Amino acid sequence: MKKITLKLFRYNPETDTKPHYDTYKLEVEPTDRVLDLLEKVKGYEDGTLSFRRSCAHGVCGSCAMRVNGENKLACKTLIQDIKSSKITVEPILGMPVLKDMIVDMEPFFDNYKKVMPYFINDDPKPEKEHIQSIEEQERFDDTAKCILCGACTTSCPSFWANDEYVGPAAIVNAHRFIFDSRDQGAAERLQILNDQFGVYRCRTIFNCTLACPREIEITKAIGEVKKAIATGSLD
Amino acid sequence: MTSRKVAKRGFNLDYVMWLFMRLSALAMYAVGLTGLTAALVMGARTQTDLSTLVRWTFFQNPSHVFSSDIVVLDNFINQFWQIMQITMVFFGVTHGLNGLRIVVEDFMGSTIWRTLWRGFIFFAWIFITLVAIYVVLAS
Repeated sequence: MKKITLKLFRYNPETDTKPHYDTYKLEVEPTDRVLDLLEKVKGYEDGTLSFRRSCAHGVCGSCAMRVNGENKLACKTLIQDIKSSKITVEPILGMPVLKDMIVDMEPFFDNYKKVMPYFINDDPKPEKEHIQSIEEQERFDDTAKCILCGACTTSCPSFWANDEYVGPAAIVNAHRFIFDSRDQGAAERLQILNDQFGVYRCRTIFNCTLACPREIEITKAIGEVKKAIATGSLD
Repeated sequence: MTSRKVAKRGFNLDYVMWLFMRLSALAMYAVGLTGLTAALVMGARTQTDLSTLVRWTFFQNPSHVFSSDIVVLDNFINQFWQIMQITMVFFGVTHGLNGLRIVVEDFMGSTIWRTLWRGFIFFAWIFITLVAIYVVLAS
């Protein structure tokens, strides 16, 4: 067992005029996750603590939060991987805080919807399925891993500065369809992203790539979209 | 792969400037290295100091090196080097002021200050470029 100090961001708009931090001393296993600590506090210390969680296995993308200043999924962050015995957990930046770790994700999903993140194909339906080679599938394999946790977009200084920027997550999901050989909406998506609030807001800072819990090469994907706009080619 | 057709859009400043920033950076390297190489070939390698070499690299103007011992100034007094200087000035000023425009676009939001800054940057770009070209041609 290891003794740690857990410092949690707290804000309840019904009772608090401004946010504050609560501190808890806990004994934890090195293999515990930050999500386990939050569950422990909520279950045994303060039932009003609010945070999103669902699958607890790094798939649903609900529990993105800042752990010691870095965007992480609470369910994938082991205590043994955090070097300090002091752990600070705060909500992700750039979105309005609703309560404690819960932020309003509507602006994030509004930007996501702008890039038409769905399959477009006007051809008659094939008898069985749309055939695709392994190489064609690998073209967008990396960006198809996105779980829409928002860790990338909320780590991006360009998004913090101006939330009209669609953000890395939206571009990643556009990339997933733009480079899908079965899809026919690439030109429309490229035109949407060929805008001052599209790919040109990316300053190649790489925060998004570092923050992604799925290890998607986000900056590379954004670069590929920029190249597709500049050359007019998807090769 | 087939794709739905979309209507072509008109002039897109952000796209043009995104391309310009990359190409102008490469162009400035080319102009600078050309000036540096020419200066070395024309005798600077044994007759001048670092600061003079830097001036020749970035602004190949003979009036900048009158105080040095260089005896090959005549080689720099011709139209080719004036064109090189004007190219460097144009790329440098446009590249730098577009960087400032990007900062303003990022941090000003949709306010009157953004409009004022855009206007200021545009006129500063025109003014600095014209003054620099005058200096190059008149020196």
